Amino acid sequence: MLNDLSLLAPELLLAAAAMLMIVAEMARASRLVLAIGILALAASTMLTFAVLKADTTVFGGTYRIDTIAGWAKLILLPGTALALLMARAEIAGRDREGSVYSLIVLVTLGALMLSGAGDMMVLVIGVVLTGLGSFALVAYPRDDAATEAGMKYLVFGAVTGSVMIYGLTFWFGGSGSTLFSELGQLSGQTLLSIAGLIAVIVGLGYKASLVPFHFWAPDAYDGAPVSVAAYLSVITKAAAFFAFAQVLRDLPREGGWPLALALISAVTMTYGYLAALVQTNLVRLIAYSSVAQSGYILMGVVALGVSLVATPAILVFAAAYVAMNLGAFAIVMVAGRSLESLQGFGRTRPWLGGAMVVFLLSLTGIPPLFGFVGKLYLFMAAIEAGYLWLAVIGILNSVLALGVYLRMVVPMYRSADSAAAGPVGLSLAAVLALTAAATLGLGALAGFLLP
Amino acid sequence: MPLLTIATFLPILAGLALMALPKQTARIAHQISIAATGAVFLITLAIWARGIVPDGFAQIEEFTWIPAIGAAYRLGLDGLSLPLVLLTALLFLLSAIYSARISDRAPSFVVLMLMLETAALGTFMALDGLLFYVFFEVSLVGMYFMIAGWGYEERQKAALMFFIYTLLGSLPLLLAIIGLYLGSGSFDMRVWIDAPPLTGLAAMLALIAMLFTFAVKIPAFPVHTWLPAAHVQAPTAGSVILAGVMLKFGTYGLVRFAFQMTPEAFAQAGQVILAFGVVSALYGAFAALAQTDLKKMIAYTSVNHMGYVVMGVAVAALASDPRMRTIALDGATLQMVSHGLVTGALFFLVGMVQDRAHSRNMADFGGLLTRLPWLGWAFILSAFASLGLPGLAHFPAEFQVFLATLNAAPWAIIAILAIVVTAALYLRAIAAVFLGEANPKWADLPDLDRREKLVIVPLLVLTVLVGVAPGWLIGLIHTTMTGLGI
Repeated sequence: MLNDLSLLAPELLLAAAAMLMIVAEMARASRLVLAIGILALAASTMLTFAVLKADTTVFGGTYRIDTIAGWAKLILLPGTALALLMARAEIAGRDREGSVYSLIVLVTLGALMLSGAGDMMVLVIGVVLTGLGSFALVAYPRDDAATEAGMKYLVFGAVTGSVMIYGLTFWFGGSGSTLFSELGQLSGQTLLSIAGLIAVIVGLGYKASLVPFHFWAPDAYDGAPVSVAAYLSVITKAAAFFAFAQVLRDLPREGGWPLALALISAVTMTYGYLAALVQTNLVRLIAYSSVAQSGYILMGVVALGVSLVATPAILVFAAAYVAMNLGAFAIVMVAGRSLESLQGFGRTRPWLGGAMVVFLLSLTGIPPLFGFVGKLYLFMAAIEAGYLWLAVIGILNSVLALGVYLRMVVPMYRSADSAAAGPVGLSLAAVLALTAAATLGLGALAGFLLP
Repeated sequence: MPLLTIATFLPILAGLALMALPKQTARIAHQISIAATGAVFLITLAIWARGIVPDGFAQIEEFTWIPAIGAAYRLGLDGLSLPLVLLTALLFLLSAIYSARISDRAPSFVVLMLMLETAALGTFMALDGLLFYVFFEVSLVGMYFMIAGWGYEERQKAALMFFIYTLLGSLPLLLAIIGLYLGSGSFDMRVWIDAPPLTGLAAMLALIAMLFTFAVKIPAFPVHTWLPAAHVQAPTAGSVILAGVMLKFGTYGLVRFAFQMTPEAFAQAGQVILAFGVVSALYGAFAALAQTDLKKMIAYTSVNHMGYVVMGVAVAALASDPRMRTIALDGATLQMVSHGLVTGALFFLVGMVQDRAHSRNMADFGGLLTRLPWLGWAFILSAFASLGLPGLAHFPAEFQVFLATLNAAPWAIIAILAIVVTAALYLRAIAAVFLGEANPKWADLPDLDRREKLVIVPLLVLTVLVGVAPGWLIGLIHTTMTGLGI
């Protein structure tokens, strides 16, 4: 038991910090709230290194301390710290500022639970914890748009969450256990596993904004503060994919779920890019592009259990995605929310423009950037799992992606007439420097870091 | 000394150093650019002096990169890549010298050019599939921004078209590379060449993917349509690099990947590939004949000349006589190099005409030869080389290709008709621009200055040297062609 707790040190530390942050927020000491959050995230990341090599479970197999959970922490915790800095840059001095920070840390705790879930109940807690905090974050500005976005997110989340819980009961009935590791016993009980699986795909697919559960994403991102949109688009989404990996790797590859997920993956990436092509609102454009990115990462899930590269592919792409999407959103915070605001941006602000080009090319998947390495692994996993057609669709979509991202790059280097972008504060500059460095450098280094 | 690595990364490091300078003037930027490309050229000469072995790759530089999947940083050379490396270093040095007149955002231009040089040298020297792909793609980004930022009137559109075409074009190669990896468990290109990992349908699919990629890059009919726009809109140095260096990625890849790594499938598809080569050669020539814009005309002759290269490689796969195979491959490789020299010179010269007259339309000119004897004679010499006159660079290459074609697939000899068409179009261009009645509008145009002569003379000398005594270059190429195991 004590050993269990020491393995959980990163989570426990984060939980304690979240409580402390709420207390500090009661005193309206928002700088203190932020400081606690950043320190806790840093310390929690450090503690993760101690348990990174572990491959075990705690509390009777309900919570996993394994490769996925370990690397998920190394991706989600620093990502959250960057999101906190972005939030600080956006809402400093506003009312209830500290509550945003504490909610973010709380949601990240839920994200960690999703990534380590070994049991249906932990999965449900993770879904609820990430969900409830996120609704509040989206509605934070309390204007009409934000309230509507928050409501949409909440209602949709409540429905998909309930469907998931309902479906999980079928799995429980079939395997007689709430542990994912017992799902292997479902073999033969195809009907039950199909019902359960559909429900899980609904619940997690909503979090991951897979088509057709993606409707909320553009509206929620658009209504929320940019930093919250950035946070939701990377952290809770990445966590949903880690949860997918935890659940599905134990499931026998029968009942056609790999094929079903492959189809969803193909539709999601295609639809996401097609929808992004017609957006003029920068936040919505990136929102749809991140729907498409979800389709890509699902390729790794499809290959789980067959391809040895599947898990590394999910992890590497998630890491790349966190860096480049946060970076792109950070640029939106500087430039403004409409596509026109990028007009001439690269000429008047050469360094910021250069950083944006790096993020966008990485999202497109141009080597040697981090996003390329992630996509490469995903393609490798899909082909190794026998889904050559999915890799081909992924590759064809890379061309659509190019169209989407060049829509942002091209105006940046046209004439420099407008571009009245705001100043870049210290915290935002740090976010941009770190995300750009990760996007540029980790691509080449990814090979050394891999498990 | 890891000379290959130094040559590859010196340009981009020089570019980064330039970016780090607090005060970046056009002057300093161009000095750095000429110094870096000059140093790289000297290093490649040293690499040449170290020599290559007659069988397989030499001067290997290797260390682990992604051990989990068997990808590594691997550079090396053989007789196919070494001539292209030398050509690349030379053309970049000349482009740097020529571009020293650019004053608009010169530091950015120089950084892009240096980045392109790293990408180009890396592409020819990489012996790791993944590393090759990385260099291959990085070149796109550099060229996109170069065309979009410093090109002519329609630059944005042309740059976009170039980027989309070639990205779409190169993605199938990624699939093929992953396929080769899954078939062999390694990204080492030497492994893929020594024991082609794919067979049957998988090999054929991989071949089709590779052919698609390289056909776009070469460019071969019918996926050549990006080329005229990109060439016409690119700044002069961009056109030279595009035609002289980047089109060679396609033909280099055709030999290195398609021919060497899926040999059986390549032989099966040999007649079809040959047909595409023939159609490209003929189509390029006729399309060039229809142009009135000098730059566009030269761009289309690239489609024509690269068509001969495709023919040479295809014939090599079809030939049963090993001597003929060697002759075909030697010819194809020689054609790659001589096309770089001759077309490089032609694009420089058209750029010089445009700088002076702000026009590329043949009909606007006339009688320039008397006013601009340097420019005129240089153009005439290069044009004669381009149309395949004996004694100049293209002749020995095309002769070998056609000789092997006649031997292995006689029907394809109809492509020789293209030479007649090329001759006609160049003679027409020379007559319209340089001969005949002088247009008084151009009475004040100055002839080539010292820097322009410095750029053009080495290319002309090499054009003649390769034409009169191709033996030294063929000898260099030949070392590998025998090493290809055929």
